[in-house]
Amino acid sequence: MTFQIELDQINKYYGAYHALRDVSLQIPQGQFVALVGPSGCGKSTLLRTIAGLEGISDGRIEIAGRDVSTLAPRERDLAMVFQSYALYPHMTVRKNLTYSLRLKRRKAGEIDTAVEEIARITGLDGLLDRYPRELSGGQRQRVAMGRAIIRDPKAFLFDEPLSNLDAALRVHMRAEIRKLHNRLGATSVYVTHDQIEAMTMADHVVVLRAGRIEQQGAPLDLYDRPANRFVAGFIGSPAMNFVDGVVAGDGRSVQLDLAGAPVLRFAGQRPAGEPVCVGLRPEHLEVGAGRDINRLDLPVGMVERTGAASYVVSDTTPELMIAAPVRVADGARIAVSIAPENLHLFARAGEGLRLNT
Amino acid sequence: MLKFTNTFRDGVGFDTLLVGIALGYLVVFSAFPLAYNLLMSFQDVDLFSLTSFDRPFVGWDNYREILSRPELLPILWNTVKFVGISVIAQLSLGFAIAMFFQLDFPFNTWLRGLFLAGWIMPALVVGAVWSWVLAGDFGVLNHVLSELGLIRANIFWLSDPDVALYSIIFANIWLGVPFNMILLSVGLAGIPEDVYEAAEMDGATRIQRFFTITLPMMRAQLGAVISLGVIFTLQQFDLFAALTQGGPANSSNVFQYWSWQLAFQNYEIGLGSVISVLMIGFVIAVAFVYVRSTRYEQES
Repeated sequence: MTFQIELDQINKYYGAYHALRDVSLQIPQGQFVALVGPSGCGKSTLLRTIAGLEGISDGRIEIAGRDVSTLAPRERDLAMVFQSYALYPHMTVRKNLTYSLRLKRRKAGEIDTAVEEIARITGLDGLLDRYPRELSGGQRQRVAMGRAIIRDPKAFLFDEPLSNLDAALRVHMRAEIRKLHNRLGATSVYVTHDQIEAMTMADHVVVLRAGRIEQQGAPLDLYDRPANRFVAGFIGSPAMNFVDGVVAGDGRSVQLDLAGAPVLRFAGQRPAGEPVCVGLRPEHLEVGAGRDINRLDLPVGMVERTGAASYVVSDTTPELMIAAPVRVADGARIAVSIAPENLHLFARAGEGLRLNT
Repeated sequence: MLKFTNTFRDGVGFDTLLVGIALGYLVVFSAFPLAYNLLMSFQDVDLFSLTSFDRPFVGWDNYREILSRPELLPILWNTVKFVGISVIAQLSLGFAIAMFFQLDFPFNTWLRGLFLAGWIMPALVVGAVWSWVLAGDFGVLNHVLSELGLIRANIFWLSDPDVALYSIIFANIWLGVPFNMILLSVGLAGIPEDVYEAAEMDGATRIQRFFTITLPMMRAQLGAVISLGVIFTLQQFDLFAALTQGGPANSSNVFQYWSWQLAFQNYEIGLGSVISVLMIGFVIAVAFVYVRSTRYEQES
């Protein structure tokens, strides 16, 4: 099977700094891939190497079956949407949109038809003769998108395109980009530091840390079965709670390092006495679920109330975050329980790899 | 008294004073000489009437006199060549060097700073140095060229009527390149890198990027540099004084130097004023272009 974008063992050095480490990635035609990770993880560098704006030190990049590893950006036929939009400030919206077509010396009639079509899709009609400085942030964002779409490229590259927008517009544009992707059926690679953006938009999420792919897969796979402690803590909001513990004698439950040393059942089997790190998602600590086992009785510390949910921080060491869909009073105690299959066990040493199947 | 000092400190009094100082300066040192010069161009001025305002008006006689001088056309043509070649060469060299220093290489800001050394030297000193370089009998340039075997006989850079003007133009280009380079560097640094990257992604080659991104985005700076270059070149007096004094036989003479010769060597002060007035008219037109181009900059 040929992939639209295929990265094979990419390595990139800046002097002695190893920015990308053996990155391999296969993106089928039409897939929406999100590259996500904390700042400095190499996600933008990876996108720029795909674009050709950065060279690679080692490895191979193929686009639609063609080796482009050493080609200039303009020979790769990819379109990019920049974080700063990077619109041409001295050109009107119309000129911005048609720049690539004019470079290719397309016929004037053809260009006009294309620009009308793009203006309709992106909702820019009526703004075509404005300059970028006369547009709002959201409109500039649309011009940047339109400029990419008009070229009908082999793939779209997005470099944190929503991070300059306010929260409400960001949510709106998130849906709009995804709708556009579905409509065009194009291959997209989307860089973001916001795991919610990655989870909600992408078909396939790639989590990067320190230039290395930590895990990749469908969004819910990453959520349900994080491969290590880093991914577990990064995916999901609010973030997963971690408590140290030791596997009990039966090999099927774990004794937590909390006051009262509560014992929780988990799915699967581990050697007795193994030191582990237990991951508990805040939304899996259910309040008042009718469960006989896996109960925790926790003192309430701070409560953040959003109306729809209460975020309770327990007064324990370490603190546990509980996302409760009910209203909780300060200073009370709260009884929660967790289903055994929602317990994540990670090794305490090394990379913190996932232990339970 | 307190009220007065308060008005002075916080109120309109202080503002008026500040505006007054600036306005007074302009009136005394700019407006008055300009008007006085204009007045003299319509009068018969000699050394004896120089200090008195009461001089015979001669109408357009001075202008007619200048326009009928046989040296007018050669000097006009020299001036056009001097300004045209200087500005074009300064601009293109300055632009090329500015683009070169946009590249990332070690010590580039440091080297760029060194380029300014030529610019901060007084023009008269520059003229003296160039007169040694270009001297016919014992000049450095002739020595180098003959050592390299490029010339047999000495070239009289400053006294050969065919080359004298070009020698001055050459020295003037050298003098003006750093200024052009620095001003254009500032403009180039203001173009965001990602705009170039976007153009690259859109399929623009290096040359296309220069013509579709760099050049149009430098419009304001180029307008400013060209207008200022024209004005500075029209002011260039020191090099002529140091190198050729307009000679031989006016072959390297230009308006600004001719005006000085008429007024302060021949004491035909009215005629000198006429040339100044004509040049001021031209400079005002250029300044108008300059103001227009910087206004565009503020809008964007």
